[in-house]
Amino acid sequence: MIKIENLSKIFRTEEVETKALNDISFQIKQGDFVSVMGPSGSGKSTLLNIVGLLDSVSNGSYQLFGKEMVGLKEKDRAKVRKQNIGFVFQNFNLIDELSVFANIELPLIYNNVSSSERKKRVIKIAERLNISHRLKHFPQQLSGGQQQRVAVARALINDPKIILADEPTGNLDSKNGNEVMELLTDLHANGATILMVTHSNYDASFSQKTILMKDGMILSEKLNQRNIDILVNN
Amino acid sequence: MLKNWLQIFLHHIKNNKLFTSLNILGLSIGIAGLIFATLYWNDEQSYNAWNPENEHVFQVINDVGEGNIWNTNPAPLNAFLKSTFSELESHCYLNTWYFNEIIEYNGRKELIDRILDSQNTFFSFFPFEFIKGNAETALQDNTSIALSETTAKRIFKDEDPLGKQVLYSGRNLVVRGIYKLNKKSSYAPKVVTNLIHKRLDQNKDLWGNYNFGLLLKLKNPSESEHVSKKIENLFIEHKTKNDAKNAGLTLEEYIEKYGPAKVILEPLKTARLHSIMDGYPEGKGNYQFLLIMVGLSILILILSIVNYVNLATANAIKRAKEVGVRKIIGASKVNIIKQFIFETILLGCFSILLALVIVELSLPYYNNFLNKELLMNGSQFYLQLIAIFITVIIVAGILPSIYVSNFETLKVLKGNFGRSKSGVWLRNGMLILQFAIASFFIIGSYIVYQQVDYMNTKKLGFVGKQVLSINFRRTNDEQTLLRYYTIKQELLKMKGVKSVSTGVFTFGEGARSSSSFSYNDISIQGENMAVDFEMLDMMKIKIAEGRNLSPNFSSDTINTMLINKTTAKMMKEPNPIGKEINWNDNKLKIVGIVEDFHIYGPQIEIPPMVFFHMKTIDWMMYNMNEVYVKIEPENMKETIANLEEFWTTKVDTKYPFSYDFVDKKFARTYETYVKQKDLFSLLNIVVIIIALFGLFALATYSIERRMKEIAIRKTLGAETQTLLKELSKQYIIFCVIGFLIALFPAYYLLQKWLENFAFRISISIIPFTIGFVVLAILTLIVVLSRAYEATRVDVLTYLKYE
Repeated sequence: MIKIENLSKIFRTEEVETKALNDISFQIKQGDFVSVMGPSGSGKSTLLNIVGLLDSVSNGSYQLFGKEMVGLKEKDRAKVRKQNIGFVFQNFNLIDELSVFANIELPLIYNNVSSSERKKRVIKIAERLNISHRLKHFPQQLSGGQQQRVAVARALINDPKIILADEPTGNLDSKNGNEVMELLTDLHANGATILMVTHSNYDASFSQKTILMKDGMILSEKLNQRNIDILVNN
Repeated sequence: MLKNWLQIFLHHIKNNKLFTSLNILGLSIGIAGLIFATLYWNDEQSYNAWNPENEHVFQVINDVGEGNIWNTNPAPLNAFLKSTFSELESHCYLNTWYFNEIIEYNGRKELIDRILDSQNTFFSFFPFEFIKGNAETALQDNTSIALSETTAKRIFKDEDPLGKQVLYSGRNLVVRGIYKLNKKSSYAPKVVTNLIHKRLDQNKDLWGNYNFGLLLKLKNPSESEHVSKKIENLFIEHKTKNDAKNAGLTLEEYIEKYGPAKVILEPLKTARLHSIMDGYPEGKGNYQFLLIMVGLSILILILSIVNYVNLATANAIKRAKEVGVRKIIGASKVNIIKQFIFETILLGCFSILLALVIVELSLPYYNNFLNKELLMNGSQFYLQLIAIFITVIIVAGILPSIYVSNFETLKVLKGNFGRSKSGVWLRNGMLILQFAIASFFIIGSYIVYQQVDYMNTKKLGFVGKQVLSINFRRTNDEQTLLRYYTIKQELLKMKGVKSVSTGVFTFGEGARSSSSFSYNDISIQGENMAVDFEMLDMMKIKIAEGRNLSPNFSSDTINTMLINKTTAKMMKEPNPIGKEINWNDNKLKIVGIVEDFHIYGPQIEIPPMVFFHMKTIDWMMYNMNEVYVKIEPENMKETIANLEEFWTTKVDTKYPFSYDFVDKKFARTYETYVKQKDLFSLLNIVVIIIALFGLFALATYSIERRMKEIAIRKTLGAETQTLLKELSKQYIIFCVIGFLIALFPAYYLLQKWLENFAFRISISIIPFTIGFVVLAILTLIVVLSRAYEATRVDVLTYLKYE
């Protein structure tokens, strides 16, 4: 599904040249749950942004569904992005001025889904994420965990092929963090493809595979042993 | 999608009530200004635009040399125009002014103004729509009279006027046409008569009497040059040759000395705004003032749009996150642009509605100010309104929306975009522009104020206080002087009347006639200021040398004259007193020199004047239209009431008593400039308010952006004073740059404006100094108040953040 080969990303300022990503290669298959770990500045967020088509590439190849993404124009990238990718951020990035309902609905608007259909889908996903009673509230009125669930709902509303999560628990206490991780695991169990960046070993243990990065390079890839099915069925 | 946009939009309005409303207010004031200017513009442009003949009709204007340009022509041309000008479709002799007379029907009298006497071709030159009768027969003979619809209603009420007889200045005339007077026209008479032929006949051999207005309708407008040459040749043949002979010169010598008489044909189409003279009874539009209005209103609109753009971009930074999220979720750039233009459209709608309310409410004052009756209607106006709206949306909406749509998603989401310097140069540039416009207004209005103040306080050379000029209708011209003396005697007996006199001139409008005379081969066109003895003393006009005219000298009603200082200067005679002048074949001896005084407005050069007693030149009494009465300052109301009673019972039983205070009438001559001053001052206040508000908002935003920096500086030990200096420095720099930009245009344009005045101030450094100081102080007040508030905040809030 995602195939990255010899990918480099170089930041240049007038005097310094920083290699944020240095010639990395890996693949993600349909249904994978992959986490990326590494210290600050290791390039993991940059990688996520590139996979999410938010950032450009200096060198190498990035294929999504067999199509080359490197060199696409901003307009085309936006199109691919809105049809295939859902984002979950550390700081939620909800629009404070819009209600929960309007926030979740937003991606559908940009995909030209009709109003009645939008309503149906928002209600459905809100039920699934247990935020139905919060639809009329504004983000600031919710707890962190609830906000993140809204963000996840928004990421999922469009049935994206892949979910990108950037430290989804970073701003949450452990209880709320756990809730969100269980939610992601649940989604994965139902067939979602997830790429998650995290600092936390605990969070990473929810995933199938952990990629460890340092200084823009992949140090190791390891398969996690946890049996996910059992946890979900608890 | 619209609902979503609307939700966000309303949310922002709710949270920024003050800024949003001030922003809308600023924009609507700008738009209102432009609407005002547009209304004025439309009104002026509509003059004669309806007239299908406007390209073919020309007014004949005579430039007879020495700066004398007249809209009048001698009568003898009439015969030639009829017979030898195949280029013409027709011509029309007519008055260039209106009468104001009583029209009587069935014993009922109505005093009607705007009565025109013209040849019968008038309605083919100004084809007003006829309701009854038609243009061909309306003035078929000298017993015909044509009335405008409203005038006919006044005279005849509900009767059918057609074919009825009315009494008009001693003649019975038959109503042969009723026309509609609903279009702006350089001739817009309420009544037209065809009595001019008698006067044309009386003048038919007098090439020197320029008494009549003349319009020509050319078959081919491009032949106007040729036609004017042809008329010039007639003048040379019939007038200049004789003049030369009488002066004992050859034709060539005469032309060399006095210049050729030039004939100018001016098309009706451009006459209202671009005529070289005020040649039509409905007057000339003030093109310069129109341009000033349009120019200033555009400047203010630019200012308010700049304000809008500035606030929108500054505000957009606060919305960066929203834009970023939208983009990640799938909004394209175009989509974001659309969203922000949508918001501008909504704000634009509010603004234009508010602008229309402002215009509607203040239109009466504006009309009063312009002496017009402007209305907001007509398809043209609404099209212009839409054009203004679209322009505002494009200019005000596109810039901020493109700016916003170009936010880099990644930077935004990293969270520190609020302090980004993006768009700073744009906002600063616009701030400088605002400073420049504000400087221009402050400097400009101060200079205008200085000039008008100069005119207000200028010594006029006469004192018009408590002097009434009473309209005096001559009934039997031969007896005019005798009647005047009787009236004078009676008036002097009345309580409160100090003195009574007369003169053949009006303060503010000049003398009724002017004549040229030669002194040592210097030709002087002097205003003929025939007076009764007390006139100069009554007006406190001083005698510079020699003596005033006096009843003690019997010669003073026979062969003496006074001249004013200007005349004396022009004569180049070091000692004019005692010299004799050949004035129209009268030998008059100069007995005194009158101190110069203004007879036209204080903005106009003082012309050469000659003074003599009314009796000295007998035809002067035909020019006598006013009796001047000086009254005591106490009980003025009562005195005037008595005067009125006396006048309407003894002097003139037919017409209403009409008078004016000399000083007030004179002040009206430069009323337009006083109004321009008021306008400029008002706009100045508006501009300063808009600009200061823009500055206030921008300073607020930019200081907010620097809060972290301020917090860090404070933690490191910066004192409030240093911080204030640091924060306000850049604004003072912008202020200086803006001021420098405004410097030259202000100087240049105001210098141009001052050229309207024969007597004017010279532009000193004071307006510029004051302009700069005022601007700098206001800037400092605004910025320092914002900055001071910023330095008092809790450091921790900003350091903890992130």
